[in-house]
Amino acid sequence: MIEPYVEPAAPGVDRGLTNASELAADKLVVRFQGLAAISDVSLKVQRHEVFGLIGPNGAGKTTLVNCLTGFQRPTEGRIILGGGDTAGWSASRFREQGVARTFQAGRLFKDMTVMENVEVTAAGLGASLRSARKHAKAMLGWIGLADKAALHAGALAYTDQRRLGIARALVLSPAFILLDEPAAGMSDAECEDLMELVASIPRTFTCGVLLIEHNMRVVMGISQRIHVLDGGRTIAEGTPDEIQRHEAVLAAYLGMEA
Amino acid sequence: MGHFLLRHQTPMLLAVLLVLIAGATSLSSNEALQVTLTEMFIRVIVVVGLYVFIGNSGIISFGHIGFMCIGAYAAAWATAEPSFKQIMLSGLPAFLQEHQYPFLVATAGALLLAMAVAFVLGLAIMRLSGTAASIATFAFLIIVNSVYSNWDSLTAGVSSIIGIPTVVGSFTAYAFAALAILVAYLFQISRFGLMLRASRDDEVAARASAVKIMRVRLAAFVLSAGLVGIGGGLYAQFLGILTVDPFYLNLSFITIAMLVVGGMASLSGAVVGVVAVTAIVEILRLFERGVPIGGASLGLPQGSQEIGLGIVMALILIFRPNGLSRGREFAHFAGAPLPAPSTAAPVAPPASAPAARPEGIPITDERKAIV
Ligand SMILES: Nc1ncnc2c1ncn2[C@@H]1O[C@H](COP(=O)(O)OP(=O)(O)OP(=O)(O)O)[C@@H](O)[C@H]1O
Ligand SMILES: [Mg+2]
Repeated sequence: MIEPYVEPAAPGVDRGLTNASELAADKLVVRFQGLAAISDVSLKVQRHEVFGLIGPNGAGKTTLVNCLTGFQRPTEGRIILGGGDTAGWSASRFREQGVARTFQAGRLFKDMTVMENVEVTAAGLGASLRSARKHAKAMLGWIGLADKAALHAGALAYTDQRRLGIARALVLSPAFILLDEPAAGMSDAECEDLMELVASIPRTFTCGVLLIEHNMRVVMGISQRIHVLDGGRTIAEGTPDEIQRHEAVLAAYLGMEA
Repeated sequence: MGHFLLRHQTPMLLAVLLVLIAGATSLSSNEALQVTLTEMFIRVIVVVGLYVFIGNSGIISFGHIGFMCIGAYAAAWATAEPSFKQIMLSGLPAFLQEHQYPFLVATAGALLLAMAVAFVLGLAIMRLSGTAASIATFAFLIIVNSVYSNWDSLTAGVSSIIGIPTVVGSFTAYAFAALAILVAYLFQISRFGLMLRASRDDEVAARASAVKIMRVRLAAFVLSAGLVGIGGGLYAQFLGILTVDPFYLNLSFITIAMLVVGGMASLSGAVVGVVAVTAIVEILRLFERGVPIGGASLGLPQGSQEIGLGIVMALILIFRPNGLSRGREFAHFAGAPLPAPSTAAPVAPPASAPAARPEGIPITDERKAIV
């Protein structure tokens, strides 16, 4: 069961482009020492949807998320938030303007408490310590970690660590959240619990979700649209139904398993 | 109120610890012990200052003794005899040359000059990566040393500045040490402290949490240089005579060693490290001078103090890799939720937590790619 979320008031906090309705990559190219990790990829994530991003290992999914959050300068192409160009923005600027993310590798602040992990983001966005604590509390309640607030993040069980990563990104309701394999390493049951939560994010927080996830059944189940990458190129985009029947997708995935 | 005191017991406990040490030494009327005590309190200021930056940011600085030098000379310029300054320090501006300022003004000068230099230096090096920044601070120490050794008209070069009123005794030094502890504590529990500690744990994740890393690092750098500068200002007004020599490698290494021995991830560690290393050095010195046992005198050969200190420090770090404090803060009274950082993962992970990465997550070279 998902707890209701009641967002505390946030005086003095700049909520960034909270009216941005779209996060887009436009003809993106990323090359590492000449090697193309992303080649001419365009996509648009809407504020009200869960947008699935799938593809085999090394397809360029993380690199794309890095571009969309200011951690990777595109070699060519642009990232557009709410119609405006984001050229030159730092990663912290992206978060300030409402684009949040989690990391495939977790990257929690391991020596800090669960509460502090979430407070950091609120503080980074300009909240006072008192207000940061209030927001962190509300967020931990929603995500089901309220009783573990005083623990060290490094001492959490694995599934709770993944949840904390999401809580840390989601505090003070960003406009978009990009989840890089949030359920990696979880059992099917754990994964399903988490995905119920993820599916509720657009409605609860008015926040668009970009979800990278390897479990096909899960992605098909909660995404409104899905984008498929392979070798850094777009091979398909469409509704789960369309993707399931798409020949190139089937080939990419069958090819991977063969 | 009771809750407030419990919550913030750490700085008070540390201040009380220092009072107890002062009390214990005052039982002996030994003159030399009082000098050692004053010097120890000044080192508490310096090492706590060092901790504000190193402990919270995780970046080692080898250059902070440069700020101590800057603070010491600033205080000397303000307080030395005008007659001396007019002859020997001809390069000083008139307002310094012709006047002699009181203790607090001189100490404020030490604070402000150190902070100003740290701000300019910090703007340049806080954008570097951790290791590069550490090397740059070392370069800064060398530059300060050679500038102050050679700028004769301001520093009297290799000869010394004399005639600084020696107004700093153990009580003044203690008061400033307690103040430094309080300032460091308040910084650590502030928003800036929180964000800086996050960047120490994971810089990439901190940026994703909207932390402006350069800004929080710079704030800590300037504050910490200010504290160390005050330590220098007090040191000058404790010695009465000032040369550049003490502010170099030896003092840099011993202060960093104090921080490491105490545990550089906690304020308690910084204070305990100073006390512990001072005690070790004093005991070894005692043996070097010779201890009468029966009719004979047991004495260690010259130089055994340095060797002994090295051995004891190595032993401490072997058995307590995170320092004497284990990176935790003092909390004698139960029920205090600790706002302080505690690196060193003191909490044993429960059995259910995976020790390693679960399968399915590729191990990626973090220096190369952000995952
Ligand atoms: N900083 C970098 N320098 C060089 N090559 C890189 C860098 N980052 C990623 N790559 C390469 O780019 C390609 C795409 O990597 P990316 O991590 O984006 O894939 P992914 O789809 O997230 O894969 P996975 O499913 O394994 O997480 C890979 O070949 C990877 O080795
Ligand atoms: Mg990836």
